Amino acid sequence: MTAAPASAGEHLLAAVTAAIGRVLESVTEVGEAMTALACAAGAGQRPLRRADLAALRPLVAQVLARHRGFAAGAGVVLAPDALADAARWIDWWWADQGIGQLQVDLDPGSAEFYDYTTTEWYREPARTGQPCIAGPYVDYICTREYTFTVSVPVVDQGRFVGVAGADILASEVERMVLPGLSRLGRARQPAVLVSGRGRVIASSSARIVPGEVLRPGRPGSPGGPGTLGWPDRAGWPDGAGWPGTMTAAGPLPWMLLGGPGEPDEPGGPGRARK
Amino acid sequence: MAPPALTTVRARTLFAPLDAGGRADTVTRRLAQAIRLGLLLDGERLPAESQLAGQLGVSTVTLREALAALRTMGLVETRRGRGGGSFVRAPDDADRLELPLRLLSLHELHDIGDHRAAIAGTAARLAAERALTADIAVLREHAERLRGAAALTDRRRADARLHIEIAATAQSPRLTREEMDLWSEIGDLVWLPLEGADVAPAARDHDLLIDAIEAHEPARAREIAERHVAAETGRLLELRLSLHHR
Repeated sequence: MTAAPASAGEHLLAAVTAAIGRVLESVTEVGEAMTALACAAGAGQRPLRRADLAALRPLVAQVLARHRGFAAGAGVVLAPDALADAARWIDWWWADQGIGQLQVDLDPGSAEFYDYTTTEWYREPARTGQPCIAGPYVDYICTREYTFTVSVPVVDQGRFVGVAGADILASEVERMVLPGLSRLGRARQPAVLVSGRGRVIASSSARIVPGEVLRPGRPGSPGGPGTLGWPDRAGWPDGAGWPGTMTAAGPLPWMLLGGPGEPDEPGGPGRARK
Repeated sequence: MAPPALTTVRARTLFAPLDAGGRADTVTRRLAQAIRLGLLLDGERLPAESQLAGQLGVSTVTLREALAALRTMGLVETRRGRGGGSFVRAPDDADRLELPLRLLSLHELHDIGDHRAAIAGTAARLAAERALTADIAVLREHAERLRGAAALTDRRRADARLHIEIAATAQSPRLTREEMDLWSEIGDLVWLPLEGADVAPAARDHDLLIDAIEAHEPARAREIAERHVAAETGRLLELRLSLHHR
């Protein structure tokens, strides 16, 4: 009874990990090209300038073309003072009908100034030197939607120059995993995909909404202990109390909770979704 | 001296197409605000009527109506003949400070307050349900920026960013977009360089609000957010009324 659904869960996690991993690979190529640019500038003893970044655009366009319908935007974001002719710089492109460049106000004196250095997708790779899958979060600058951003640090001879990254709409990830989650979930044991921080990405139950934070054991909740919710802040994230918890392999710290629990009574108050 | 050319950033901000139903008073308000903010400089020539109307997505009739209103307000001067056109006349300081308030009726100010309370209140409630530890750190950081901001532009930006971040913490793209729209509309009013533009009361409210979000207390978070907006609205209403007593 458990073997088949468990492997279905693993399959689901592996599929979504692979899809995001492919975007990460493409983004890594952009990051490597940017490292090469910075390195070449350094070797030529000339400063890196905005115009140099034009060399990356074919690669960025390739990321968007390769992941059309999945990656909504891609580009590079520079560390403050990495360029000689701009204190801060974003070279970011979005894909819709065609391809367009993101326009943001980077003048610190302006009322609309966008300080990207406080974002998770910039800060984490800068801090850890590792790729980052930020989100889901409300990206109010580029996609203006619920979004994941995958980003990789660009480092030239030990100096953090910026990040290369891509945006993935949360709705696309949901579309990808929902059929599988619905097959796995049971009314009393919904299948839920959560981020490493415990944020719901998608679930097989209408009572568990994306964006909610899942914390094991909500005392007094309608479903009783062992269901989800807040405000019990203890013990997260470890998946404790959740049968069938699986963690994705690789850089994607997502978890699949729930899954194969008690089968529903035939004709009972049924599956969350068919 | 030739009037300065419009930069692309300013052109995009000022002359972005208005929503359908954009009327003469919307155009009037936007241009008046741009003049007051110094985005359009004293003596600067506005684009030709047909071009400006096209950029704003309104008819030339509507634009002319708006320009007439701006002329009445003394913000635009139209010269005829060779080298003619519509020119910006920046108001003196006292007028400039009061202008955004004068442009709104008391009922409109009330209405903006109600709208803000609805958005900020719900955003605060959901943020208290959905915030992670990392989100709280970001909110505190922005609250701290507001406290440390000396210039009004910096305060306006920090305040707006904090409220937008709270809506983002609520995990709602729609509430976040509403906060963004509201702040681009009322940000200058909140940080009007008049009496009462002290940073301390707002900073205190924000600290309490973030405390409630961190403690996962949705009802309290909502109440604090609504009270915060009501206090700001009340201050603006008082200011607006006082303009009539001078």
